[in-house]
Amino acid sequence: MDLTPSDEQVMLGDMVRRFLADRQNTANMGRGPIPRDDWRALGELGLFSFLLPETAGGMGGRPQDAVIIAEELGRSMAITPLAETVLLCAGLIARRGSAGQIARWVQPVMQGEYILAYAGGGAIRYDGACLDGQTHIVQHGMDASAFVVALPERQGAVLVSAAADGLTRTPVRLADGTVAAEVRFDAVAADPLEATANDLDTAIAHAELATIAEMIGTMTTLYEQTVDYIQQRRQFGVAIGSFQVIQHRAARLFVMLEQSRSMMLKAALVEEDERIRMVTAAKAYVADAALRLAQDATQLHGGMGVTDELPVGRGHRRLLVLSHLFGGALAARARLAS
Amino acid sequence: MDLALSPAQAAFRDEVRAFLRDALPEHLRHGARLTSGVFVEPDIGREWQAILEARGWLVYHWPRDAGGPGWTPIQRWIFEKECAEAGTPALPGMGLKLVGPVLYRFGTETQKAEYLPKLRNGEHFWAQGFSEPGAGSDLASLRTRAVRDGDHYVVTGQKIWTTQAQFANRLFCLVRTDPEVKPQRGISFLLIDMASPGVTVRPILSASGDHELNEVFLDEVRVPVANRVGDEGQGWTIAKFLLDNERGGSSFGPQLIADLARLRALAGPFEGELVTRATRLALEAEALEMTELRTLIELEAGTPPGPRTLVTKLIASEIRQGIDELAVDAFGLAGLQLPAERPFYGADVPAPVGSRDAQIAAGRYLNSRAWSIFGGTSEIQLTVIAKNAVGL
Ligand SMILES: Cc1cc2nc3c(=O)[nH]c(=O)nc-3n(C[C@H](O)[C@H](O)[C@H](O)COP(=O)(O)OP(=O)(O)OC[C@H]3O[C@@H](n4cnc5c(N)ncnc54)[C@H](O)[C@@H]3O)c2cc1C
Repeated sequence: MDLTPSDEQVMLGDMVRRFLADRQNTANMGRGPIPRDDWRALGELGLFSFLLPETAGGMGGRPQDAVIIAEELGRSMAITPLAETVLLCAGLIARRGSAGQIARWVQPVMQGEYILAYAGGGAIRYDGACLDGQTHIVQHGMDASAFVVALPERQGAVLVSAAADGLTRTPVRLADGTVAAEVRFDAVAADPLEATANDLDTAIAHAELATIAEMIGTMTTLYEQTVDYIQQRRQFGVAIGSFQVIQHRAARLFVMLEQSRSMMLKAALVEEDERIRMVTAAKAYVADAALRLAQDATQLHGGMGVTDELPVGRGHRRLLVLSHLFGGALAARARLAS
Repeated sequence: MDLALSPAQAAFRDEVRAFLRDALPEHLRHGARLTSGVFVEPDIGREWQAILEARGWLVYHWPRDAGGPGWTPIQRWIFEKECAEAGTPALPGMGLKLVGPVLYRFGTETQKAEYLPKLRNGEHFWAQGFSEPGAGSDLASLRTRAVRDGDHYVVTGQKIWTTQAQFANRLFCLVRTDPEVKPQRGISFLLIDMASPGVTVRPILSASGDHELNEVFLDEVRVPVANRVGDEGQGWTIAKFLLDNERGGSSFGPQLIADLARLRALAGPFEGELVTRATRLALEAEALEMTELRTLIELEAGTPPGPRTLVTKLIASEIRQGIDELAVDAFGLAGLQLPAERPFYGADVPAPVGSRDAQIAAGRYLNSRAWSIFGGTSEIQLTVIAKNAVGL
């Protein structure tokens, strides 16, 4: 056993951190999705192809690499569609798609040109050629060039271009400032993808793991900001961090963060056949801890904590969304119990 | 011992219920349901205020000699319970609940005659200028200076977290009139016209996107000495009286019970863990309602309320936050939407995914974190309970 990151992994983390440090600061972090140009630049750095399988022209990055990138995004609260676009949609197409589908959709994702979104719920009908019905809320749906749409009962999936005739979408602004979409299909021609329910679940697990790592990153930032704040903020003539009640609260945040990181690491490092269960377990744990931590960070900031002015309030919003994606902690615990 | 309403109390309840059935317009009920912020939107609050004033029930918690209807503590509770169940809007609280009682208790006859009628008819909309950037939990360290200049004070300083100051035309304010004495002794209570030269309001957006909070800058604002309530140096005593009203002036239990029942109707039936969470919250709210009632029954019998009253705001905050978190979970993905437009009952807000109640859930969740912060944080409440109730 060895938990030391490789030299390449350290470099990877540093590269992403340096890239984001130039663009994200306390004034803009977590306000909404990063500019499209920054997303493209991340693609040009080779980050996305690094994470995709070699068979599709990628470099075969593993879950343990993906979490390094995702954690850095979370740390600087750079809101991106990494999980949905690269790990879920492009990952699935890269593994199960035809050469044509890979060329059409995965290549542009690698270059940061396309955003792909995943529609996993709603009332959808598919007759083998055409798609009808309406999706539920689709994260990053307004920015997507194409959708991977899960068929009812997850009997496979189809690919649909956002430009297809008969496709309409309605924007839905979410708490983290991202714009999702409800997508309507009216006899839309769809391109079937040879994917089983297990293929879908695996792709979702990889994406969900990235969102867990992103939560860890944002939790770390909120933790650090809070520790700074309670040392700076003075009331009754002393730093509030000198009150034992506050010290114990801060100590709990540290404990929560360590426990959460352990679950994330385990989910990233288990064998592939244990991945789905372990990601579910990590999600159930971390999603809960993330909200508790955000709530305490808010509380320890007093009035400042409920404003839009500090990263803590915006981080809270982002954690609210991340913790509820893919069914959230509730669904994760229910799956574990069954 | 007996918990049943007396025949007279039951008749009173029926009277209130009948009034609410006739007098509460649907758009106000709707607006109250779709308010994301912590405080009532002024348009709704004012309209409800006028309806209650016309019935003579607006200042239901004021004593008769101050113009109230002379209700007993239990009558006030019955009224609040019925309002909660009917889904009325809240009232603009800074004036009616906070500065009103201060005025009838500490104000001069001239001040009462000048301010109480305008408070009741809505001409004056009040904001509370207590907190400062450096004086939150440690309120007594406030630094806004009021320097005497003939029959005026010249007031300079900064207030923060001033709820709805953007709508207010009057500010009640704690200022330092004497920097030499012990901090609590050097504070006075002033009424400031927001239109005075030198008053500037700057908005503070909440993480939810709501605009409820503000900074208020006071730059050599001239305030007549006649606008001081109480004596010079009596501000702290008045502030404590006011803060007691802020934390415990009305009952929290009935509203929380009604809100939980409403959520159950809108987002239920709950399944799995949500059932357990809803049940826990319901139990806590039921206990709170009874705790509050115990105090009111004792008050009615003339027994001074003990330290038990300290429990209510703390527990109410926790239940409120629990309900609003439950709502987000109950609405699932739809509970994550958060449009930027306000108010939620207004024409500009886009069509919701699911329902309006789902659309408002995330904003409510974020805003309700403030409950354990304003009016004294939960940590401060616990310290006070440890000291005054536990005796440590
Ligand atoms: C939504 C909202 C509306 C408000 N409206 C108004 C208004 O209209 N007018 C007005 O004057 N004010 C208003 N306030 C201000 C409110 O009263 C203050 O925010 C509150 O008193 C806390 O002060 P603070 O924000 O400076 O936090 P701080 O006092 O800096 O507290 C930060 C943290 O330290 C903790 N802490 C501080 N001292 C101690 C201690 N001795 N022991 C243990 N823990 C401690 C606190 O509990 C908190 O967790 C409002 C606040 C909010 C959030």
